Amino acid sequence: MDRSYETIIIGGGVVGSSIAYHLSEQTKEAVLVLDQKFPLSGTSGSTQAWVWVHNKTPSWYAEFSMYSAELYSYLSKKIGDVEFKRTGGLSPFFNEADREKAVRLAEAYEQIGIKIKVLSREEALEKEPFLNPDVVGATYSAIDGNVNPFRLVDRYMRAAKKNGVQYSTYNKVTEIQKMPGKFIVVSEKGEFSCKNLILAGGTWSRELGKLVDVNIPINQLRGQILVTEPLKPFLNYTISGLRQAFNGEVLIGYSMEQEGFNRATTLDVIQETANMAVHYVPSLKKAKVVRAFSGIRAMPEDGFPILGKIPGVENLYVAATHSGVTLSPLIGTLMTELILEGETSIPIDRYSISRFAK
Amino acid sequence: METDILIIGAGPAGLAAAFEMASKGLDVTIVDESITMGGQLNQQTQVIPSLPSSFQSMRGFELAAHLTKQLEEYDIRYLLGHRVIGFYKDGSVGITDEQDVFAVKAKKIIVATGAAENAVAFPKWTLPGVMTIGAAQTMINRDFVQPGKEAVIVGSSDFALDAALQLSEVGVHVKGFIEKNAGILSRDLEKIEQVKKMGIPIYLDSFIKEARGMGAVEEIEIEIGTRVLTEKVDLVCVDGGRSPILDIFYQLGCSFGYQKELGGWVPQYNHQFQTDRQDIFLAGNAAGISTQGVLLVTGMLAGINVCEAVGAITKTIADEEKDFLWKELEILETKYNPNIWEARNRHMENFAHPVIKEQFLS
Repeated sequence: MDRSYETIIIGGGVVGSSIAYHLSEQTKEAVLVLDQKFPLSGTSGSTQAWVWVHNKTPSWYAEFSMYSAELYSYLSKKIGDVEFKRTGGLSPFFNEADREKAVRLAEAYEQIGIKIKVLSREEALEKEPFLNPDVVGATYSAIDGNVNPFRLVDRYMRAAKKNGVQYSTYNKVTEIQKMPGKFIVVSEKGEFSCKNLILAGGTWSRELGKLVDVNIPINQLRGQILVTEPLKPFLNYTISGLRQAFNGEVLIGYSMEQEGFNRATTLDVIQETANMAVHYVPSLKKAKVVRAFSGIRAMPEDGFPILGKIPGVENLYVAATHSGVTLSPLIGTLMTELILEGETSIPIDRYSISRFAK
Repeated sequence: METDILIIGAGPAGLAAAFEMASKGLDVTIVDESITMGGQLNQQTQVIPSLPSSFQSMRGFELAAHLTKQLEEYDIRYLLGHRVIGFYKDGSVGITDEQDVFAVKAKKIIVATGAAENAVAFPKWTLPGVMTIGAAQTMINRDFVQPGKEAVIVGSSDFALDAALQLSEVGVHVKGFIEKNAGILSRDLEKIEQVKKMGIPIYLDSFIKEARGMGAVEEIEIEIGTRVLTEKVDLVCVDGGRSPILDIFYQLGCSFGYQKELGGWVPQYNHQFQTDRQDIFLAGNAAGISTQGVLLVTGMLAGINVCEAVGAITKTIADEEKDFLWKELEILETKYNPNIWEARNRHMENFAHPVIKEQFLS
C-alpha cells in the first residue's frame, strides 16, 4: 500500500465515502479512506435511512436538505441502484392544535420552493389507508423518501475504488502530526502522509478532533429501531417514525437517548416504540417484531452540520453531521468543490466550525 | 415479578442447577420456551453414556423425567411456554407468554440456553426433506412422525450414528453416511460396529454436490473422491455440529472467546461459571458443547456457585462440593474427548482477556 496521498479521509461511513467518491470523480490524485472498523459497522449501517426534508427546521436547513435529496435520482444513475424511492413523506398529527403549526410550516417553506401540503383527515387516510382513523391531519411532501443504506455506502465505496480510491479498514488513527505542507497520519497499520486531511469520523468526531487540538462538538444520540417480519406492501409513504422497506419489513423507531456509544437495546424503549407504531398504524398490532437494533447518531451540539475548512490549520477539513444519509450527496459534492476549487457552489459558511468558537 | 434466581432454559443443565439451589432454600424461577421440561433430552431415546456418579444409567427422556421429578418437592416457579425477549434498563428480564410482556427482577441469573445445530449447506439444500439430525430425531421420537423413507446422513458424529440407528428402527432405509473428513468422527466404537453390521455404507472424503427435486428432495449427487454417486432419497439429515446459543449473553453485554472444540464462540466465564457480568452465571451447552453427563455437572456447579454468592451456603461447604464436582467433570469430559476438557480450561484461563468485549460500542 502506498504511503503518500493527496487526500486522506478519516471515516468511511456514508459521509466519508460520499466525499471519497465525489472527489474521485473530479481528480486523479491519490485518495485514501481510513476506517477504524469497516464502513457500515457504525451509524451508517444502523439507520432507517430516510431521505427526509419536509419538517427540518429552520427553513435554510430544510433548503440545504432539499438540494441533497434532489441529487439522489442523479446519483443512482452514476453509482448504481441504491434502492432510492421517492415515496413522499407523511407526518401525521392527532391534535387539531397542530394544524396551525403545520400551516405555518407550509407557508414558510413555500417561499424556498419546498412544497408541503397540509392534509385533512380524509386526505391523509386516502393516501395512507392504514393510518389510525383518529388522525386529524398530516403534512405531506413529495420530496421525501428513503434509500437502502447498505447499498448506498457499498455503491459509494465501489465507485470510489473503481476510480482509484484506496480503503484501509480496521485501522484506527492514533495520532495526527501537522508538518509544513503536509499531515502525517499515524494509524495502527503504519504512517501515511497527505496534503489534504478530512475528518469524517461521525460519532467519533470529537475524539478525532482532539488529535489535531480542534473541538468538534459532536455528541452521541442513541436510537432504537424495531424490524417486523416481512409484510405485504401496505404503507405507501415514508411516515415520520416508520417506513416499509423494499423487502416488506417495517422499520419503526424515533427514540433518542444519551447513552454514549452504548448500542444495547432496552425493552423500555422497544415497548414505547411498538406503542408508537400501533398508535400510528393500528394494524401493526398483528405484526411480529423479529429484531431490534440500536444506532448511534452523530449529533452536533446545535443540531446542524459541521462542514468546511478548519480555520487556522491549512488543508484541514471537517464533515460531521446528523442526517448523513439525506445530506451525503450534497456534502460529497460541496466538499469536493471546496478541496479542488477553494469555494462551493452553495454557500456553507453557516455550517463552519468557527460558529462554535467563543 | 421478583425472584432470587432466574434460570433461563429448562434443559439438563438448567434443571440440575435448579435442584442445587431449590434444595438449599432459594427462591427459583425457571423459564423455557417449550411447554415441556428437559429440553433436547425428550427426544433422545438412546442410553446416555457416562452420567455423573449420582445417576443411574438411563435413556434421555428418562433422564428428563428424573430431573423433573427431583424438583417436585420444591416450590419452584415454572414459566413454561414463555420466552425471554430482552432486558429493561434497570436489568429486569423481559419475558413474554406470547401475548403480553412482563418484567422479572432476579438477584442472579443462570443462562442455560443450550446449543443450536449448525446447518450444512449445499446446492438446493433448502428443499423440504433436508433437515438437521436433531429435527429428524424430534419427529420420530417426540412427534411419532416418520420424516421420510429413504435417507442419507451427512456427518458421522455420535449424534449422527444415533440418529441413523433410530431412523432404521422406525423403518427408514438409511442409504449411507456422507462424511467430508477422511475418518469417522464418532469415538463410540460399539456404535460404529453396529452401523457397519447393518450394512450402511460410510462414504469418507465425500460431500453432497447437489440435491434435486420438485418441491421436495428426490435425489442427491454425492461426490466421493473422483466419482459421483446418485442416490434416490426423500430425506437428508445433516449434522453440522452444534454451537452455543448466545443471544441472551449478547444482549447482556457479556464478553466472548473463541474455542473451536467448544463449538465456536462461547461466553467468557471463570471457574465459578460466572460471566464478566457478576450477576450472570451460565451452565450446560451454552458454556461449551459437551456430553449430557458434563452438562449436568456444569449445572450443579453453577447452582452451587450461585448458592455461595447469595450466601445460602458457606464457602467451606461450597468448596467441598465443587472440588468433588470438578473432579467428576474432568473424568467425564476427558473420557469423552480430552481436547474438549483442555479447551474448557483454556477458555476459563482466557477470562481476563476476552477476544470480543464491548460489542455494543459503536
